[in-house]
Order: sequence, then structure tokens, then C-alpha cells
Amino acid sequence: MGLSGLEIFKQLPKTNCKECGYPTCLAFAMALANGKASLDACPDVTEEAKEALSSASAPPIKMVKVGTGDRVIEMGDETEIFRHDKRFNHPTAVTVEVKDTDDLEARLAVINDLIFERVGQEYTVDMIALVNASGDAGKFKAAAETVKEKTEKNVVLVSEDAGAMEVALDVLADRKPLVYAANKDNFEKMTELAKSKECPLVVKGDDLNSLAELVDKIVALGYKELVLDPGSRETSKVLADLTQIRRLAVRKKFRTFGYQTIAFTSKDDPQEDLMQAGVYLSKYASIVVLKTDKKEHLLPLFSWRANLFTDPQKPAQVQPGLHPIGDADENSPVYCTTNFSLSFYLVEGEVSSTRIPSYILSVDTKGTSVLTAYADNRYTAESIAAAIKSTGLEDKVKNKNIVIPGLVAVLKGALEDESGWDVTVGPREASGITKFAKEKFA
Amino acid sequence: MIIIGERINGMFRDIAKAIREKDPTAVQEWARKQEAMGSGYLDINVGPAVSDRVSAMRWLCEVAQEASKLPLCLDSTDYDAIEAGLEVCKQPAMINSVPAVQEKMDRVFQMASKYNAEVIGLAMNEEGIPKDAESRVALAMELVANCDAHGIPISNLYIDPLVLPCNVGQDHGPEVMETLRQIKLLSDPPPKTVVGLSNISQGTKDRDLINRIFAVMAMANGLDAAIADGCDEELIAAVATARIILNMDIYCDSYVDVFKNQNL
Amino acid sequence: MAVEIMKEKYRSQVREVVLGATKDEGGTRSTTIKVGGESTLPFLHFEGAVPNRPVVAMEVWDVFPEEWPQNLKDAFGDVLNDPAAWAKKCVDEFGADLIALRFKGADPDVNDASAEDCIAVLKNVLEAVGVPLIVYGCGKLEKDNAIIGPIGEAAEGENLLLGVAEQENYKSVASAAMAYKHSVIAQSPIDINIAKQLNILISEMSTPLLDRIVIDPTIAALGYGIEYSYSIMERARFGALNGDRMLGMPMIGNVGHEVWSKKETFIPVDEEPGWGDQAERSLAWESVTAMALLQAGMNILVMRHPQAVKLIKQNIDELMQDNSY
Repeated sequence: MGLSGLEIFKQLPKTNCKECGYPTCLAFAMALANGKASLDACPDVTEEAKEALSSASAPPIKMVKVGTGDRVIEMGDETEIFRHDKRFNHPTAVTVEVKDTDDLEARLAVINDLIFERVGQEYTVDMIALVNASGDAGKFKAAAETVKEKTEKNVVLVSEDAGAMEVALDVLADRKPLVYAANKDNFEKMTELAKSKECPLVVKGDDLNSLAELVDKIVALGYKELVLDPGSRETSKVLADLTQIRRLAVRKKFRTFGYQTIAFTSKDDPQEDLMQAGVYLSKYASIVVLKTDKKEHLLPLFSWRANLFTDPQKPAQVQPGLHPIGDADENSPVYCTTNFSLSFYLVEGEVSSTRIPSYILSVDTKGTSVLTAYADNRYTAESIAAAIKSTGLEDKVKNKNIVIPGLVAVLKGALEDESGWDVTVGPREASGITKFAKEKFA
Repeated sequence: MIIIGERINGMFRDIAKAIREKDPTAVQEWARKQEAMGSGYLDINVGPAVSDRVSAMRWLCEVAQEASKLPLCLDSTDYDAIEAGLEVCKQPAMINSVPAVQEKMDRVFQMASKYNAEVIGLAMNEEGIPKDAESRVALAMELVANCDAHGIPISNLYIDPLVLPCNVGQDHGPEVMETLRQIKLLSDPPPKTVVGLSNISQGTKDRDLINRIFAVMAMANGLDAAIADGCDEELIAAVATARIILNMDIYCDSYVDVFKNQNL
Repeated sequence: MAVEIMKEKYRSQVREVVLGATKDEGGTRSTTIKVGGESTLPFLHFEGAVPNRPVVAMEVWDVFPEEWPQNLKDAFGDVLNDPAAWAKKCVDEFGADLIALRFKGADPDVNDASAEDCIAVLKNVLEAVGVPLIVYGCGKLEKDNAIIGPIGEAAEGENLLLGVAEQENYKSVASAAMAYKHSVIAQSPIDINIAKQLNILISEMSTPLLDRIVIDPTIAALGYGIEYSYSIMERARFGALNGDRMLGMPMIGNVGHEVWSKKETFIPVDEEPGWGDQAERSLAWESVTAMALLQAGMNILVMRHPQAVKLIKQNIDELMQDNSY
């Protein structure tokens, strides 16, 4: 990310000495902004200015990693306020809270077992947050040992007591856990601990101002592997704080807030917990710590995350192949579309609402829509005929009739030749399927 | 691109007459007409019609605001006249204009700060209009630095790279385009850019064609505003289309109408 | 250290639309509802006004909703055969801000109910509850075009929110709204350009209708393309705040309708052990879908499960708390 002429100019000595080869400092600043000159050409630039200029060209939100090896989780490094402007890069780490007063073995067994499969994707809980609820350093350490033994998940160690943190961190340092948290009272000790073990550190403020102050102090101690917690816990306030942090980092390049964020839910009811986690996940939290470990609550949250973090510039795909709708049998109609998720879901919705059991054949078009795929030679008589064969459709239905989208009516003849099936030209838009089906198949 | 409707100017006979006779009819008709066709500002220029520019400017501003809710762009080299206009403006106005000449910048930016006004800065100084982009941008930078020094948001500054007629200053064309691009690197947020559109076609044969082609080319290079004929249907259609292609407005089939009707 | 809070300055705001009409205003509603009017992105009270909270409409059908999953039907007890009692329960017990009456029975393949049949149901519901009403046809164009005029006429002055005007079929609904003083749902198929064009087409019939349009951008359910709806809504709202008057209408989403046909809401846990309890999961699917849409700027959520409604209303309560600095 380039710096503007004015930003650079403000850091220059304004002597207009001409030694850089430009008539004025302003002209030199413009040359720098255009990448046509190097700052080294200025004889009087201060070290401070050099530092300010080089850090201002760093990415707006620093990437921070938790964990090691295959299990490492990368967070931060975001550049957008709206996903449609480019994309959100790193999915929020969904983190379940456990306490050192819980029956840890049982809870970890449950959490380890949380593996979800939906539309061909697998999700698991990214991290556990081990809370020093007992307030006892010994118990926290013992709990850390149980965690080490019973789960391979990444860990957030939650204690604002530096003594407790030290003993637990001794146990788990190899896992590179996230240390939670440095506050205004303990930050020197916490920073030293995190630094010595090379673990990322959460900075917890009481509000945005105190957070900024604390971040600057910790950076001054020479540590930058940071995660921010503005300290708010009410839904609306957290939304505002996370929005401010993201905006200030991305739009204003405010270095103090150029880190990822963590948000904790504050609800006891698991459904309310889920709603709050959903808000924080939608609006910019890199890590969400919630309490529920029930599949029925986490599945919707993971699904929302998968949707939100889909790259809008890459078409979303569904599994190509044959999809039965209702109790489809050998007499059911067959509709053919692409594996672009939106096309598929529209067709699926319309076909379901005909209440006639049917098949949808989704041809692999690499997630492109009917017309795009047709133009790209991915949705052709050959590819459709191949899909009819590879899915074994010929053995599943007797009538050997397939409905193609009205937009590619032109494929009818070629597909009949290629596949030996009868081809019916369907409506141009999915919304016409109900009427079409009523006339043809009811 | 925002159109600053140029029609309320004492250079035109009907406006000159209106000013002399203190008859607001023509002024208000043009104010309404330009607003109805999508202009974003009304340029107000007393022109050569009268000797008392201060009171003429005040009167024009008052009667224009009775007919239109658009903000005004006070166009004069007489800063007392501009200040008189600023005093009666009901909403933040635009000052048109100031060159990169220190004592003038001091006066204008002070006024802008006092009246919360926007400023058009000209990429020229005592020595005139430079030819190459680099010199134009250097003057723009001086305007930016002075604007910033007065605590005025840079996004309230419109830089005019200064356009010469394409039949006499053809070699300025590419330099103007380059200047428009580079101005966006001056600061973050960057200053805005503006041109006096019809300058490009002075003394040529097909003025409207040249104006609108220049408008869309300049837009592609980052132009934000133009002082132009806000009632030129084809210009407006071209600008509306360029805005769609540059993803500045959301497309719909009737986008030209939407652009025209934005003030309704 | 004082952080310089970043507040965006927008040129414009969302139009405010009033739903329902009281006796003084020519209707019979005991309350009216205002939606829209915000001058910032969702719930950013620190930089702009959010004068009206998002509202929740609960769906009521003119026929028994056979196809709903059992746990959804169970949540209503024995009122599902009686639209008036059903509506009353939604308002009195479940806190519905308004009722979305869907004439499923008008579908030629269901009961082929006539306009008169629908009007009778509408009158009963209007009598049973004091909140404003949204009215949907059966979803079959020809039939809906035939019944919407008489329905609009029978409820003249009530300022119903009439569904749905589409690009290829907007005149009958818009005419009914114009003639009998109702508002209109303008529905576009997950396409922001059509959403905008449709508003222009409607406004060409009657400019004052511009302030009586609610946009239905067509939402998809969680897991079924909701991100498209989310981004279209964010773009539309951002455009509206930046002065695009033809996208500056409040938005409505048919959440219950989209969600409750998806398999996540009805597959029992023994078929998908990895998905957890069906009853809890199904209502979470509805409430999380609604939660996400709220974050993109939704103003009216049309929902089904009382518990999901309760959760989203709680979420709205929390999000409406001031967060100024």
C-alpha cells in the first residue's frame, strides 16, 4: 500500500536543500509517492521519520498465528470493510470456552468429537479457551496438563493473573497458545511471558482509548504479536468497537489498532450465546469465544462463517452429480443445471415446490452459471451427456427425458444426438419451473 | 462526476440584464432548470455586467437560493465579492477559485475555514499555467499543503489542472490526464478534481462533441466535477454512462433518468 | 490517549415507510409501524440515526400448514386451523410486530380459494389483531393478479403491505396499492439492478408510491447462498446512504419461507448425527439466518418459529442500545 505525497511530505525536513535532486521537498515527496525516488536521497531525514514511513506501508492489519505445524491458525491480514469490495481473508476462529473447574476430560471429549459435514465441507472447532475460573494457579496448571494430554486443539489461556499464566504457559508453550490477557496492571509481566515463549498476546482495554494506550506501551516493550480486546461485552457496544478497530486500521492506517480482534459472548442461554457470536463473527472479530458446545448450535454458526468468508470473486459451487428431490424414482422428471450454487439452489427451490419428486443433474461447470458455462464450453452437449453417463442416470430413470434450461435451447439437437435421450427445453428462468412442471409432469 | 451548472453567469445576456434590472426571473429559471437536470452545484458569476461586484454577488446568491436547494459555487477573482456571497449562503458553498499564490491562498483558505466552504484550487501561479504534468502536480501539492495547514479536510479541496482549448494547446491534453491521475496520490483522502469543461472546445467547430468526450476521458482519469452546461442532454447521458462504467452508480435500465432526476 | 473515532458522513438516508393505518388515518389498526429512516449502516448509532427498530412479522396462512415440520407446528398448539386465532396468538403471546398473511389456499393446486374467500379470512384477521398486516398471495402469478385487486379494495385505507410486485408483473399490485392506499413489496431475484429498475417502474406509475415501497431483495437461507443476498443488501444500503434514491427503501426478507424448506430444519438427528438435535437446530437455522440479514440492513423479517422470533427480538433489543462514544 503506497503512501500519499502529503503523508511523506510531513515527514520530510522541509529544508528545500535540493540535494535529493528535486527543487523542493514537496517535489521530492511526490517523486517518493510515485515510487520514482528513494528516501535515502534525503540527507536530513530523521530515523523517526524513516520508521514512520516504513511502518505506514505495512499491511493495515497484521497477521498473527496461533498454534504450530498443521494446526496453525492464521488470523488478521484483513483489508476490507465490506466483503463485496474484495474478500474477507481469514475465517473467524470459532473457539469454545472451558473452565478449569469443569469436568475437563468429559468436555474435551465432546469438543474433540465436534466434526461437522455439510455440502462437502468439514468443520471443527478451531480452538478452546481454557478459563482460570478457579482463580487458583495450581488448578489452572493441572487443567493445562489435561488439555495437553486430551486434545490437540489450539488453546487460548484465559487468566489475568500473571502467576497462573506463567505456570500454565510452561505446560503448553510448545503449542503456541494465545495468551489472554495483558491489562493495565499486569501488562509488563504478561508481555515478558508472551515474548519469552514467543506466544501471541491479547491486549485487553477498558475501552478503545485505554486499549490504544496499552497497545502502544506493549509495542514500546518490543512486542507486536498482538490481538485486541476492547473490553466491551454488550452486543451493541462490541459491534461498535469492532467496527471502529477495523475502520481505523483499514481506512486510517492507525497502526495502534492494526491487529486482529477477539470477542467473548456473555450469555448463558446457548441460543442467545449463538446469536451474539453470530453478530461478532459478521462484524470483524477474528476470534469468537462462545460457551455452547452443542452441534445444533455450532452447525449454523459454521455455515454462516463458510458463507460470509466465501470469496465473492470466485463462484460458489455445489457438489456436481445427481441430486434427488423428494422420493425420486424411475418415473421422475430430470432437470439439468450447472453446479453454480446460486443456479442450483434456485432450481432446487423451484423443483421442490412443484412437489413432484424429481432429479436435478448438476453438471460440473466449475461453479459458473448456465450462460457463462455455455460460453466457456463447460456446459455443452458433450459435458451433459457425460454427466448422464457418469451418474448412472440411465439405470435410474425409465423415460430417458431430460429438461435443459431455456437459455440453452440451442443444445437440444446436439444433446439428443450425443446422449440418445429426449431433450425438453425448460423455462428460461428457474421461476418458470412450477408452471412448466404442472403442464408437463403433473 | 458532479456537474457545476455554469449558466448563471453575467457573461450571458439574460443574466447580465437580470443583474442590472434586479429582476430575478432569468436567474431563478436557470437555477430550477439546472437543478432539475441533475446539476450538483450552481456556479454563480456576476460577470462583467456591473461595477459593484460585491452587491451583485450577494443578490445573485440570494435569489438563486430562493429557487433551488443546490449549494452554490461562487465564481469570482474578487474575494470581497466571494465573501459577500459566503455570508448569505444557507449551506456550505464552494469558492471558485484560488491559484497557488501564497497571499491569495492565505486569504481564501482562511475564508473557507471560517465559512466551512469548499475550495477550487488552480494548478497555476504568478508564472502562469505550466505545461507538463509534473509542474502542475507540484502546484497542486502546494495547494494541498496550504489547505491542510488551515485544518481544512483535503476532501473539501477541488484541484483544477487547467484545460486549454484543444485547437491551440493540443499538447496539454495528455498532461491534464496525467495530472488528474497524480493528484489522487497527493494525500489520503486525496483532493477532488474539477475542470472548466467548455475550455477544451473554445473556438472549435463541434463544441458539444468535444466537451462530452473530454468529460468521460477525464472521468476515467479520476475527474470528480466539472463546471459545464448542465442542460446539455447528451453530456448528461454521457456522464451518467461513464458513472455506470466506472462503478460509481448501481446499474439499472433507466440509469440516465435516475442520474438526471437525482435532485427531484 | 484519545482515539479519534471514525464517523462516516453519508449524503442521504433510507426512506421511512409507514405500515398500517389507524382509525384517524382511514384504517382500523390500533398501532402503525414505521420502518427505515436510518442514516447509517446497521446499528452504528455512534455515527447516525437509527430511528426505527427492525420489526418481525409472523406468518399466518389461510390453510393448515401441512408441510411444516412437526416441531414448528407444535409450537403453535391448536390454532393453525384458524387464521384469526393464529394471528392473535402470534401478536399476544409471541410478540409479533405485524402479521404476514399468506393466501396459500388461493393456489389452484391447493384449495383454489376465491377472492371472496381470501377477503373473509383477511377481515377476520384484521378484526382479531390491531397490528398492521402484510399480505402475500399464493405465489402463482395469474391467480395472485386476479385476487390482489379485490383484496386491496376490501381493505381500502388499511395501508396493508401488499406482496409482491416483480419486474415482469408489477402493475396489478402497484395499481391496488395506488387505488386503495396500501404499500408495496417490490421483489427482485437476488439482483440489485432489477431491484433498482423495479422501483423506477413503480414510481413511473405513481411518484408518491416511492415512499410506500419496501424492497424484497429475495433472500436465501443460511447455507443456501445467503452471502449473495447479504452482499446485495450491503451494496444497496451503502448506495442508498450515498444518495441513490431508487435503492433507498427499507428492505423485507421472507426468512421463514426460505429456511423451513431446507433440510437442516427437518432432517432428524438419527439421519444426520453430526448435525445435532433437529428441534433446536431448525429454529437456530431461522434465527441465525435472520441475525445475518439484520447485519446487512434488513428492516422487516418475516418469520415462523416463536422461539426464533423471541431470539431475534432480543438480538434487536440489544443492537438498538446506544453505542455512541
